[in-house]
Amino acid sequence: MEIRLGGVLLAAVALSGCAWFHRGDHRPTPLGAGDGAGASTADQTIIEPQVTRRVVKTPKIKASDFELGAYFGALSIQDFGTNPVYGARLAYHVTEDVFMEGYLARSRAGTTSLQDVFPNITVLSNSGKQFTYYDLDLGYNILPGEVFLGRGRAFNTALYTTVGMGDVKFAGTDRFALNFGVGTRILITDWVAMHMDVRDHVFETDLTGRTKNVHNIEATLGVTVFY
Amino acid sequence: MPRLLSLILLLQAFACGVAHAAGQHLQLVVTRPYLEMRTGPGRGYPVFYVVARGEKLTVLYSRTDWFKVRAPRGEEGWTYRDELAQTTLPSGAPAPVPGYPDFATHRWEIGAGYGVYNRQNLVTAYGDFGLTRSLDAELVLQQAFGTLDNRYLATIGLRHTLIPEWRRFSPTLGIGTGYQYTQGKVPPKPLETNNQLAYVSVGARGFITRRFMWRFDWRSYVVFTRQNSNEEPEEWKFDLAVFF
Repeated sequence: MEIRLGGVLLAAVALSGCAWFHRGDHRPTPLGAGDGAGASTADQTIIEPQVTRRVVKTPKIKASDFELGAYFGALSIQDFGTNPVYGARLAYHVTEDVFMEGYLARSRAGTTSLQDVFPNITVLSNSGKQFTYYDLDLGYNILPGEVFLGRGRAFNTALYTTVGMGDVKFAGTDRFALNFGVGTRILITDWVAMHMDVRDHVFETDLTGRTKNVHNIEATLGVTVFY
Repeated sequence: MPRLLSLILLLQAFACGVAHAAGQHLQLVVTRPYLEMRTGPGRGYPVFYVVARGEKLTVLYSRTDWFKVRAPRGEEGWTYRDELAQTTLPSGAPAPVPGYPDFATHRWEIGAGYGVYNRQNLVTAYGDFGLTRSLDAELVLQQAFGTLDNRYLATIGLRHTLIPEWRRFSPTLGIGTGYQYTQGKVPPKPLETNNQLAYVSVGARGFITRRFMWRFDWRSYVVFTRQNSNEEPEEWKFDLAVFF
């Protein structure tokens, strides 16, 4: 009974409610309209029409050039195993080809192969295992196109490359890092996109004893919303 | 029951929001023989529909240089900025399709780039607001990566563009102040971690294409310390930016 009552209430309020917002829309009938008798009495005072100029507001076109989303995947931290990574991204599409993008993500290092052999060795402190990075990137849509799902469905896509730089905080210190990536964006609707990315974060470190450039490759899957 | 009532109210508010939003789209009339609609916001997507002369179309939103439009019979597709600019309002006035901002008189800039500060790699992000044609206020956030320490810099400053009409290369002068936070990487700890600083800068800016521009800046800093002498680091950086 309660459900039926709820349904009736829902329909009644939803249908009636919008009228409330249009309550000011009733325009008064113009003075003298259809009043034929009034025109014949010429000696009456002529009523000056009080016409106010209608201000026509042209609606603005909403731009949806920003893209905000989250991603999740696997990050291979060189010498420290492959680990889950999660992050957030914000992009601004400047032209149909070029976009600027920022990332912020976090992962946690595992153990080195050395620790498998000698379990008592400590290489990284507990807080030093945190792998946090941010990047500022420039992206280019190299291969825009469409993918098809069955006969009746097509989704817009783009294969893009990104290049950028940023900060990797690992083993307790911040390091300057370059990153190179390739990704695919599939637009499920014009507002929602799915991303598949592979990105390499390169930085110099002496964590394992000698100074070298390490490559930390990640593969991620993400969802973004255009607004 | 209270939960149900609150759901009803929420739906009600949503329904009215949708109803109002639907009425606020721009309507334009096609004045050329036809207007092409593509399946995606890009030059390579196929044309799947054309709107005939005299027909009205609704502009839903834009993405970069492309506009999502709805034809009179409900078909939705993407049309290019230049093509939409050739339509008119129902009153006959030209369509209010926003063009590219003028480089010399633009208001906002957002950019990022690479530089070297005190012989350290430097990552820069900045925002800039044009107070007049030739005077800008800018906020710059930077991180410098050294072998002994990392530094975070936040500065605000004024930048004067000497000849804003010069598009490809226009010299700039700047002055500003800010803070530097130093984070030691190896012992001993830095003597001071928070310092105020001031700078003067010489640079240049130039138009690339559409909304893109480049900027180069050389800065000479004075970092105020409580030691016997102040620190005087130098910095150069190259940024790419978009302007609005």
